Amino acid sequence: MGNYVKRFSAFDRVVHWVLAIAFFVLVMSGLGLFAHTFFSYFDFFGGPEQGILAHKIAGIVFLITSILLFFAHAKDTCRFDSDDGRWFKGFGGYLSKDQPEIPQGKFNAGQKLFALFSIIATVILGLTGYVIWDPTSMERGLTQFSLMLHGLFFILFVMGAVVHIYLATIGNPGTIDGMLWGQVKKIWAKKHASKWYQEVGGKD
Amino acid sequence: MKHKAFMIDTSRCIACRSCQVACKQWNKLPAEATVNSGSYENPPKLTAYLHNKIEFIETEENGEFKWLFLNKRCMHCSEAGCMKVCPSVGALYRTEDGLVAYNKDKCIGCNYCVNGCPFDVPRYDAQNKIAKCHGCFDRVENGLQPACVKACPTGTLLFGDRDQLIATAKTSGKPIYGETALSGLGAMYLLDNKPQDYNLAANPTIPTSIFLWKDVIKPLGILGFWGAVGVAMLHYVTVGPKQLEENGTEKGGGNHG
Ligand code: HEM
Ligand code: SF4
Ligand code: SF4
Ligand code: SF4
Repeated sequence: MGNYVKRFSAFDRVVHWVLAIAFFVLVMSGLGLFAHTFFSYFDFFGGPEQGILAHKIAGIVFLITSILLFFAHAKDTCRFDSDDGRWFKGFGGYLSKDQPEIPQGKFNAGQKLFALFSIIATVILGLTGYVIWDPTSMERGLTQFSLMLHGLFFILFVMGAVVHIYLATIGNPGTIDGMLWGQVKKIWAKKHASKWYQEVGGKD
Repeated sequence: MKHKAFMIDTSRCIACRSCQVACKQWNKLPAEATVNSGSYENPPKLTAYLHNKIEFIETEENGEFKWLFLNKRCMHCSEAGCMKVCPSVGALYRTEDGLVAYNKDKCIGCNYCVNGCPFDVPRYDAQNKIAKCHGCFDRVENGLQPACVKACPTGTLLFGDRDQLIATAKTSGKPIYGETALSGLGAMYLLDNKPQDYNLAANPTIPTSIFLWKDVIKPLGILGFWGAVGVAMLHYVTVGPKQLEENGTEKGGGNHG
């Protein structure tokens, strides 16, 4: 036992990090098309044509890993209860140091919301990505709309990712342990996910 | 800057297609095999190797068959949707004369530009690079007329100083298509009928989705990204992280006992 409790399986972790790398590749290659300022990012890929190809490959990897990760955690992320309502009302305790932590399951309400947003955004990016795969192949209005939607969800996703990365690292020390080696400190679990901690047999 | 432009008086056109041939010749564009579509119009659409073409629009006037001939080409818009969406700086550019030309070496073959164009003009060649009318900028820079204009035997195609062309055209009393649309087209028409009869949009605009994408989502998005980074940093140094306290009595913790 010791001071740790198991949180994520090896499968969870491998899928998550493959997804993260794919996301990073997607952002870097997508930015080259998004605005002139970032056009030089295509140099990382050896040129614009190669960058677009990398984006298409990473897109498929991202789509598959996102779906796997979503279903792996769906039973914990798709249910909201009254504690979650309280959590949202108090902004998760992120606005002040003196707020008590509200009891949460394996994932807190904010994490669950991000999980749901992620799968919706992934599906939209995947579908619109399919339409703009060859921007001359489909009806013009649809392609134009898809380009816009792809850009919109790209932006929303990147903003979400900034917040996600902050909260998973320096914002909540100890959180990244779970995704790195599968276990978190018991005091982490008690503080951040007390209902889950009890479920998995945590005492005191 | 004085812009140059095309003025196309459709009523003069006899559909000899000298312009199509002259363009192919000057730009060394290969012939393409086509099929008989039951119309004199050929090929049916602009292609990567056909930068201008005569549309044969079949209409009826007082019970009699009538053709409307329209020289279709890039309109060299002052507010050009193709340039708006092109990710590669310099692939599409405006010449000193105000025409929309391109540099195939800089084109990355993303095929975005046709989606920004209100007139469905850009095409892509076998190397997947943009191809369209470039206004014969190479000739114009050297004081020559565009090849198609030079070849036109009827004076349908005119090229020159934009303001002057408009002033002359106004004396005919016919409405000018493209004088003000998209901040002024670089290819304007004198039409006998309504624009719609020539399959021309009465009020061409940059597609709404393209406007939202490039003028709203892009700038707000870049702002939003830095905003998110800023909020995270601000949170870290003001409220601060949720520290774990090793002795188990975490600060502010309300879930024990
Ligand atoms: C889910 C799977 C995804 C697929 C299948 C996909 C596919 C595509 C395709 C085919 C293009 C057009 C490339 C071209 O011009 O040939 C594109 C553009 C782009 N993608 Fe994706 N993509 C996906 C996810 C993402 C993600 C996760 C991001 C970033 C968070 C992203 C950001 C972009 C950006 C910024 C562009 C440039 C177009 C624009 O400015 O809106 N994509 N994508
Ligand atoms: S007609 Fe189309 S291709 Fe030509 S300048 Fe206008 S937007 Fe660009
Ligand atoms: S196909 Fe070429 S010219 Fe057209 S938008 Fe892409 S890079 Fe620009
Ligand atoms: S201006 Fe030049 S490129 Fe354009 S249609 Fe005429 S001949 Fe062709």
